[in-house]
Amino acid sequence: MARTLIIAEPSEIIRKGLVHISESLGLFSSIKEVACSSMLHETIKKHNPQMVLLNPSFVNADGLLELKDLTRTTMMIAGIIYSLYDDDIVSMFDEVIMVGDTRQKIHRKIGGLLEKTPGKNRSKPSEPLSARELDVLKLLVKGLSNKEISEKLFISPHTVISHRKNITQKLNIKSVAGLTVYAILNELISMDDVQ
Amino acid sequence: MTDIIISGNTKLADIVMQDPRALVLLPRFGIELGLGDRTVRQVCEDKNINTDFFMLMVNVFLNHKYFPDRRLKNVDIDMLLSYLENSHRYYLEEKIPYLENLIEEFKNKVEHPATIQLEKFFRQYIVEVREHLAYEDETAFPYVAALSQQIKKDSSHLADIDYHIGVFEERHDNIEEKLTDLKSLLVKYFPPSNDRYIRIRILRELMEFEDDLINHARIEDKVLIPIVEQLEKKIS
Repeated sequence: MARTLIIAEPSEIIRKGLVHISESLGLFSSIKEVACSSMLHETIKKHNPQMVLLNPSFVNADGLLELKDLTRTTMMIAGIIYSLYDDDIVSMFDEVIMVGDTRQKIHRKIGGLLEKTPGKNRSKPSEPLSARELDVLKLLVKGLSNKEISEKLFISPHTVISHRKNITQKLNIKSVAGLTVYAILNELISMDDVQ
Repeated sequence: MTDIIISGNTKLADIVMQDPRALVLLPRFGIELGLGDRTVRQVCEDKNINTDFFMLMVNVFLNHKYFPDRRLKNVDIDMLLSYLENSHRYYLEEKIPYLENLIEEFKNKVEHPATIQLEKFFRQYIVEVREHLAYEDETAFPYVAALSQQIKKDSSHLADIDYHIGVFEERHDNIEEKLTDLKSLLVKYFPPSNDRYIRIRILRELMEFEDDLINHARIEDKVLIPIVEQLEKKIS
């Protein structure tokens, strides 16, 4: 998965240092730098980063939420903190990187944050079900097994399973009993089909 | 909500007032309301509860980041079992029947074929929860109790018990998972209904139950299983 990191920090020494340390982590396919707050919004919109390391002086608390709204996917924001800082500001960030942190510590923090980003499985939550997924759903709630569904629709059992995964992710319903209620609500099947 | 670590000198009333999740813990320890200004330690001493154990449970419950490794060694296994059994009783005698009634009421108020199916789904779910709890009450917990007895009597081996906690660990599935399905259905997919707040009440109950079950499972996975593994090593 292509991952982008943006490092937004006015001090060149610190910015370049963080670029260097982040590169050595090998988790990002591209790392962009922002040296001045006026370029921040534009750069985020353009690159859709998974993570931003941000000097708090670039935004206020509301601004932080605004930033999160700029991307299509979930973006984690870590604050770059020089010394003591107001707790309220620190708590706005998903993580805080201290200028005095060791390389290992920064690696751990960035790695930990990346794990928290919902990956591909949550990036398309409320899309409607595809025609094929609807076919699978209808048969599933009628009580057919994966194998029976695959024979009926002329697709491999593996494909049935992957359709089921997508259905569950899109609807946030996993069990067949729950999906049955959904199917009745949306008139995909009638009560007679279930009994 | 609070993310503080609670100490023995905190007033129990303060804990409950700050975080209502602590309420469900009280009956599991036989503690009644009317707490006055007594501290956690005072209440525990009155009720003959090990204060460390009580605080361990409160902290696991209220602070999701709290991971009890240091205190594990001192946990009394019989106390832990009695806590877990009391929790089960609360689910079976209080929580589930209440939810059952609410869902029945919802079905009666909202005439839609899907509510009938929803009720069916919930009833199926209850059967699974009962099975899950019964297995623990009838198989896993008695084994742990027997094990703890053996250790106390200082026997060097376990007589005639063909079981080990690994089996429990493997079988330990998430009973809270299906609650997500119920929540999604009620929040997203049921059409607006004139049900006099029943749906909201169901959701609040479901969420509280879910939270409770997640904590319960954390206690079993992070406290019970490691302790029993230690005991098993001692006698093998």
